[in-house]
Amino acid sequence: MGLLSLGTPLTWEEAKPHADLVRERGIEQLLNIWKKAKSKERDILLWGDEIEYLVVSYDEDSKDARLSLRQAEILKDLAHDEELRKAGGCVPSLQEISQKPGQRVPAFHAEYGRFMLEATPGAPYGGMLRDLLTVEPDMKKRRVIAKQHMTKDETPITMTSFPRLGVPGAFTQPYYPPHGPIARSIFVPDEIINPHIRFPTLTANIRSRRGSKVCINLPIFYDEKTPNPFKDPTVKYDLSDYPEDGDVRNGAAKDGHVYMDAMGFGMGSCCLQITFQAKNISEARTLYDQLCPLGPIMLALSAASPIFKGYLTDIDCRWNIISGAVDDRTEEERGLKPLNENKYVIPKSRYDSVSTYISQDPGFRPEYNDVDIHQNLPLKQKLLDGGMDEPLAKHFAHLFIRDPLVIFSESIKNYLVENNDNFENIQSTNWQHMRFKPPPSAEDAIGWRVEFRSMEVQLTDFENAAFSIFIVLLTRTILSYGLNFYVPISKVTENMETAHRRDAVLSEKFYFRKHVFPPRHANRSGKGSNTSPGGSISNTPKPVELGPVEDEYCLMTINEIMNGQSGQDGFPGLITLIESYLNSVNVDVETRCELARYLDLIKKRSNGTWETAATWIRNFVRSHPDYEKDSRVNVAVNYDLIKAAETLGNGEGKGTNLWKGLFEKR
Amino acid sequence: MSSPSSVVFRTGNIIITGRTSLEKSNQELLNSLRQNFEDAASRVTSEHLSWIEARGDTLYAPGIEEPDGLSEERTEYDITVKLFYLPGVPVSKRKNHTREALQHVLRELRVSSIDLLIISFPNISFDAEDHSPDTEPTQEEVDEWAETYQTLETLQLEGQIKRIGLSEFGVARLVKLLPRTSVKPSVDQINVRDCCVVPKPLIQFAREQKIELLTHNDCTNILPSSALQSLLQENHLAFGGFKNVDPQWVVKYTAVIQDRGVVENKGYFAMAKVDIDRT
Repeated sequence: MGLLSLGTPLTWEEAKPHADLVRERGIEQLLNIWKKAKSKERDILLWGDEIEYLVVSYDEDSKDARLSLRQAEILKDLAHDEELRKAGGCVPSLQEISQKPGQRVPAFHAEYGRFMLEATPGAPYGGMLRDLLTVEPDMKKRRVIAKQHMTKDETPITMTSFPRLGVPGAFTQPYYPPHGPIARSIFVPDEIINPHIRFPTLTANIRSRRGSKVCINLPIFYDEKTPNPFKDPTVKYDLSDYPEDGDVRNGAAKDGHVYMDAMGFGMGSCCLQITFQAKNISEARTLYDQLCPLGPIMLALSAASPIFKGYLTDIDCRWNIISGAVDDRTEEERGLKPLNENKYVIPKSRYDSVSTYISQDPGFRPEYNDVDIHQNLPLKQKLLDGGMDEPLAKHFAHLFIRDPLVIFSESIKNYLVENNDNFENIQSTNWQHMRFKPPPSAEDAIGWRVEFRSMEVQLTDFENAAFSIFIVLLTRTILSYGLNFYVPISKVTENMETAHRRDAVLSEKFYFRKHVFPPRHANRSGKGSNTSPGGSISNTPKPVELGPVEDEYCLMTINEIMNGQSGQDGFPGLITLIESYLNSVNVDVETRCELARYLDLIKKRSNGTWETAATWIRNFVRSHPDYEKDSRVNVAVNYDLIKAAETLGNGEGKGTNLWKGLFEKR
Repeated sequence: MSSPSSVVFRTGNIIITGRTSLEKSNQELLNSLRQNFEDAASRVTSEHLSWIEARGDTLYAPGIEEPDGLSEERTEYDITVKLFYLPGVPVSKRKNHTREALQHVLRELRVSSIDLLIISFPNISFDAEDHSPDTEPTQEEVDEWAETYQTLETLQLEGQIKRIGLSEFGVARLVKLLPRTSVKPSVDQINVRDCCVVPKPLIQFAREQKIELLTHNDCTNILPSSALQSLLQENHLAFGGFKNVDPQWVVKYTAVIQDRGVVENKGYFAMAKVDIDRT
């Protein structure tokens, strides 16, 4: 989550005239950082995960599980904890954090949803393989600490979406009626929004800029007794408190779909994100590009959110819901009306898949950037004039077509080119599936970083650790072998859509590159891999003939991508590649065995031995005695599901059968 | 007529050259040698010139030019070398072989010392799944190990290697060898396959002795002479006159950038005695 500056936020109408100024200053700040930090070298590998929790509150009398809205109180309580304070503190937004060496107190952060909590390791993990063994204990510790600062009825769970967010009646504790002035939602009250002024402003300004409420339609999962055609019965057509109440009368809610109309439906979802520090800017760009095609694959593999607004839907993951939930594009920008007030027709929401690669590696071919993207050309020129190369300037010029959504009047008055607030205003409200992160300031010890953002949070810390560690090991493997996963960026976008479909992990195919090793004569940073006696031998490698880009990739199942294709020339599989990497480095017995457990989870999720959380949740609902086979997730089913998620989260469901299907017990 | 020669086969840096590295080390070695032979052959501009180079009594295949070495400061790297003594080679030769093999690696990486030298004795294996107690080594075996181990201790004293490692040593073997050493081994490398059943006594013993237990995926016989012989036959043009190929040692080296966990350089050298038919 971005920095929370305090001050007086501007409404969209007030903010709009300052948009160009913020963008220009943002680019100036970026150039300032880039110029000084582009020569940063030899930063070590540091990395960290972010886990988001839903805080649920049980009403044991009525056997109901609702969302607690006590985020602020819980954070305050965490900040006041004497022991945690002595150990260095754990709430960066409320207190000075000073981590003592050897002590790693997790850090807790607020999130968009007032029912959410985010936790990160107190200090980043290091680059030694042994450090990977501290990930799962660290995650477990976070959950325990969080729970200690909640009431006896509350508990943190790592479920991507709360099944009954936005149902008619009470789904929060305490109850608030929906349809407040900020979100103007038919379904959710404004009280679910983190009250820090940035968030209501963000919510209102997205709606104002767009000119209507956001609009999300998810295909319903038709079960035996689901009315067909399904018309979302919770939609209210006769409200007239706000102009936006007309949205549904103008067809916003589609037949056969579950309709949602507020930012909270998306930004109230929980994710698992990983950020790495690269050794320098060029390695960061390589990792950004190479992990990019993995985004949709890992989304499908980590799928964990089949239920929205009390209904089983026909999709398995959250990504597109968030995408729709923060879609601030006007009708003109969405191509529904001819351009008049706006500059561009923009094909994607601010929250969407990456649209351009940025690396200058020899493996990159211009054909991979096969989507024409809008760029803020005057600002791009500034970057180019400042010395930035074309691909990177293009990336930022693309982010900078967006308007700043929240401007604080103080930040307009107090501008410093050495800061990064204007830059971050645009950068951190572009939520793409990868994020390329410059150092926070030119002087900072922190290096160039890359964030991997597509994964859904898993029910247990074992699984969250497994997915995090898989990605870390994959980056080490990519860098060691010089692997090349490039496919045209339009195929990544297509894969992202595919990843959402119900059970995509087993039943869909994804575009993936066939040959991932560099050509045999490739050199590592200009160093020859093959030496030869002088005189008789030519030192110039034969130029490699590049075939058509279309021949470089094909459709593969996730099982093939992870576990490999059969046949001599088949894709070896990411797990095989990682194991080969592990065989090339010194790994102690204990580490190797623990890593094997994590890799085994990824292996077996991919080949269908074990279910994704999405499938597990869907099956849980469908086999529940109180489920009426009508796609509805009622209070009773929800209660047991949340309890099950809690039991799994605390000790992997020890003493129960709940884990069956999800993974193998140790 | 024929004359015996030493031939040093080399793979070059295999880490970025593709699929060969996905196999067990014996396949990896053969495949990457094959690939390096092909690459070398394809670079020869004139058909009359060979890519095999003679230096003194030794032939190099392919020949060795000035290697590139490592791209960053020496202190950034963790360099591990594993030396495989091969079956049938007299123990008395190991001293020279060890020095020779290490020299090749030092030259290839352009460094003056390595961090860890692991030695692998022929005909011993460690099976983590095998719960039967380690077989008691014979006095003769122990004498052999101790003799070889002295060479490593000398290299350590000379500053060419920082740490010494053994492989496939269970408790019974360690108990016999340790009293005969003055520099204790830092590492014992064992093959742990998929399962993680390491005998408790070994874990306990290693902890007491401060020996780190590392895993590997190498096979017991890394270069049977028949395998090398048939690889050479594939390259009839270059190796046509090579007869009675008798592999002496294989060395594997890896240079890892420690703080980032990135493998930058990995490769093999193998030395064999051959009779070369010069008719």
